[in-house]
Amino acid sequence: MPLHLSESEIVDRASLLPAFPSVVNDILQTLDDDNATLGALIHLVERDPVITARVLSIANAAAMASRSQRDVRDMQVAVSLIGLSKVRETVLGVSLANFSSESRMGRHFWDHSVAVGVAAQELARLGRVSTDYALVCGLLHDIGQLWMARCYPLEFQMVRLSLSLEPTLDILEAERRHFGIDHCAIGRLLATAWHLPTSVVAAIQHHHDVHPPADKLVAATHVGEVMANALDLSRQDEARVVNLSESACDLLGIDWNDDLNYLFGKIEARARYLTRIFS
Amino acid sequence: MRQHLRYLPLSEVVEGMVLGAPLTIAEHGVTNFALPAGHVLTDSNLRQIVQRHGEFACITEDDPRSDEMRAAERVHCQSRLDTIFSRADRSKPAIARLYAAVLEYRSL
Repeated sequence: MPLHLSESEIVDRASLLPAFPSVVNDILQTLDDDNATLGALIHLVERDPVITARVLSIANAAAMASRSQRDVRDMQVAVSLIGLSKVRETVLGVSLANFSSESRMGRHFWDHSVAVGVAAQELARLGRVSTDYALVCGLLHDIGQLWMARCYPLEFQMVRLSLSLEPTLDILEAERRHFGIDHCAIGRLLATAWHLPTSVVAAIQHHHDVHPPADKLVAATHVGEVMANALDLSRQDEARVVNLSESACDLLGIDWNDDLNYLFGKIEARARYLTRIFS
Repeated sequence: MRQHLRYLPLSEVVEGMVLGAPLTIAEHGVTNFALPAGHVLTDSNLRQIVQRHGEFACITEDDPRSDEMRAAERVHCQSRLDTIFSRADRSKPAIARLYAAVLEYRSL
């Protein structure tokens, strides 16, 4: 018998998760204001000692690699060394890595999230849409599974068991069998409750759709997850490609006649790089 | 000896490696650093790339594998890919093109 969960129960149960890092929303809100971004970003970073320490550590590593003798202790210097967009990317990644780790999710969950985040970023670059939004969409696309594992661990294990016993069973169908709802729908509820932008909510909700809505962020997240699985980036036995939306590929401007080796290589190398940076 | 391409995070790229594809770094859509394919990376180049926030490079290097070893690795890759695509309908054009593209990438 599946669980019967109301939308309000799902949102209320999210209190079992660590507090969602508000810096993610704050950063996404600063993206449209180029003049405010530098000061606002530094202010946001400095509010969190863990993130501050991580950004300074990355800046010091960059200073050492470039043989600059500076010992970076100031955020303004750190931003000038590693660049505004990299600082933004680091803050988003590190804050969500902490969230995932405090939720006690396994390492493979986070590795997959980073792989999808990086693939979505590169596809967003191709489709000329915000790479920061795409990174957040990728890092959070399976947030519904995190909720399932934390709030109903027994049912979550039963989903895994069903999938291993019935290799042709669709993951969304398996989740509905035990939870009465799938992780995409739960993800939509959580992202809405956390006041994430509607485009991020849509990407989380529709990333498994066979015919996702014509939105570039949704497309980047959908195709990003398919590519991350096809490239076996998180090296999980259960990685599977099930469907790939032709219209999502078209929307992003993927030309299958192009040499895609460079795109795949870039995604694979950057996923390895950022997995280290974020963790 | 045959050459093959590898895509590496910058932390794994060292002096003396040869670029297998042009390396360009852009900021705000403007290219501010470029090196051509075939360029032998120097220590100075690597520092410049770090300073410009480069994250990865495509390098070309000798492939010490024999034809038999390459063929065996391709079979292994194809087998893993078949498992990953086992629930996909490979008669669908998008799926078929993705499968072919990943197999080609894994055969570099």
